[in-house]
Amino acid sequence: MASLTIDNVKKRYGQTEILKGINISIEAGEFLILVGPSGCGKSTLMNSIAGLEDVSEGRILIGDNDVTYASPKDRDIAMVFQSYALYPNMTVAENISFGLEMRKVPKEERDAEVQRVADMLQIGHLLKRKPAQLSGGQRQRVAMGRALARRPKMYLFDEPLSNLDAKLRVEMRTEIKKLHQKLGTTIVYVTHDQIEAMTLADRIAVMKDGEVQQLGTPQEIYDNPTNLFVAGFMGSPAMNFVPAKVVEQNGTYALELQASKPTVVPFPKPDSLKAYAGKEILLGLRPEMITEPQPHKEGAEFVVTADIDVEVTEPMGADTMVLTRISEAEVNCRCNPAYPVKANETVAMMFDTSKAVAFDKDSGQRIDN
Amino acid sequence: MSNVAKRQTSTLDKALRIALYIALLAMAAVYLAPFLVMLLTSLKDVEEIRSGTLLSLPGSLNFDAWSKAWSGACTGSQCEGMAPYFFNSFQIVIPAVAISTLLGALNGYVISHWKFKGSDVFFAALLVGCFIPFQVILLPMARTLGWLGIANTTTGLVMVHVIYGVAFTTLFFRNFYQSIPAELVKAARLDGAGFFTIFYRIILPVSTPIIVVTVIWQFTQIWNDFLFGVAFSGFDTQPVTVALNNLVNTSFGGKEYNVDMAAAIIAALPTLVVYILAGKYFVRGLTAGAVKG
Repeated sequence: MASLTIDNVKKRYGQTEILKGINISIEAGEFLILVGPSGCGKSTLMNSIAGLEDVSEGRILIGDNDVTYASPKDRDIAMVFQSYALYPNMTVAENISFGLEMRKVPKEERDAEVQRVADMLQIGHLLKRKPAQLSGGQRQRVAMGRALARRPKMYLFDEPLSNLDAKLRVEMRTEIKKLHQKLGTTIVYVTHDQIEAMTLADRIAVMKDGEVQQLGTPQEIYDNPTNLFVAGFMGSPAMNFVPAKVVEQNGTYALELQASKPTVVPFPKPDSLKAYAGKEILLGLRPEMITEPQPHKEGAEFVVTADIDVEVTEPMGADTMVLTRISEAEVNCRCNPAYPVKANETVAMMFDTSKAVAFDKDSGQRIDN
Repeated sequence: MSNVAKRQTSTLDKALRIALYIALLAMAAVYLAPFLVMLLTSLKDVEEIRSGTLLSLPGSLNFDAWSKAWSGACTGSQCEGMAPYFFNSFQIVIPAVAISTLLGALNGYVISHWKFKGSDVFFAALLVGCFIPFQVILLPMARTLGWLGIANTTTGLVMVHVIYGVAFTTLFFRNFYQSIPAELVKAARLDGAGFFTIFYRIILPVSTPIIVVTVIWQFTQIWNDFLFGVAFSGFDTQPVTVALNNLVNTSFGGKEYNVDMAAAIIAALPTLVVYILAGKYFVRGLTAGAVKG
């Protein structure tokens, strides 16, 4: 176990800068997730941590050791790859013990370690098989076993679940989380799946265009996104962005929306809107904050009930998603399925803005921070 | 109704199948005819050849021509048959195939998994090597061999074949290794394996199909080579192809077609054997990279 410090790391290929000064530092035992769309540099960053790619500038520290120029094998890192990268000519047991063999661990210790890992991952019955004879989920386990066998200081997971089918992916996700809780090891995990990021991480680094947009706990990222990109990336369905006009009302500032009729909603930090008085901003409101009227919230400070014009309803069992249009923007609302909503009708909805956030329309940056 | 329809299609199927076999047999006959003529001629004696037609069967099985071709026929002023040259060829082919295959595997491994600055240019340059005609390099190569002091030796011929073959073997291995995921090499590096360990433990064990292809290709190319053999071999290091030419062109009195034919079959036999033994791997290996990524 070791902490990880990435200090102003840059990576250039010729003129193009892939990583534009990355700063991340995590404690020993933390589960860090790098998340972002394809081409954001997350895999490059991962490879740089592993030592498979050189960095152009900056430092990488594992624990207190500067490993910026160390070769991969000297970093004491194990990696699980998206394609599993199992050695096709070796049995499962040989795959798991290969790293130990390379480090000249005696045969008996290797066998004991293979047994320990196999028991932990319940792959004991597969040890004599070749990778080609395994299913996707089994290969995934073996790949993890290979990483576990060396007991490295840190684990890197490069989109390990994206080749599995949906059901297996959820199972393995839970299993990885359990494993982390049991072993308490430092893990860096790359994914483009924001649900994986939310469920697994101690901390998430949201990346875009070679820059870290935000580094924080999953809840921080969910509740307090620093900009439109982060807000839109995390959460499913995504946060609603509603153009709203800042209006002065009773000596404070509020936001005017165009629902079925013009509606004014309060904002938790009205003073931050002062500079935008009379102008339009983007109001960020999660779907679960627009619901059917709930009696117990009636009259609360940041709750307003207004009519909306329903466009489409999508029953999902636990909730019904209601699609409407507010101030020309498409908006998702999350309703109780018992609430009678039909397409092309006008119904009352409760807007809870206590957790609403505001973004500058042009720069996309948070206003109310 | 459906039964009848089924029976009709099956008769049609059968007819088509028979037609297919006839067509295939006809093609096979066209390809095998020259070999058959060679074989028949080699079993006749000179008198029979003169009186009979090309395809007439020999009166009796007569292997005299074979034993003469193997150990008694004259190639120029020597009259030791094909045997010594047959072994000369093996002495050239075996090291040349082994070295060029190994070098090709290493080159392919580097070009596809240890890319360096300019590795693509290097590969392109190697590709050009595949298009250089034999004749072009004759003179410069002769100078080089003389300068290295290995002109007219087996070593020299082996070197020429290795140099000329590396372009092809590299191309084969590079294309095959391109289909091996880079993550495999990365995983091995993280596991602590070095350049040669990865090559020996991870890459080579999965290379059997392409090794078979390369060995067959190189074996056939080098065994059948005449030009390099005639240009760079010494008096006693001539390969079998050159000896065959000498044998056919050396005549005292009447032409012994039966001996010529036997000698030609002897010269072609090793490549034939290689194809029969490893032919199915050849096709498999050629398509392996294409089908599975």
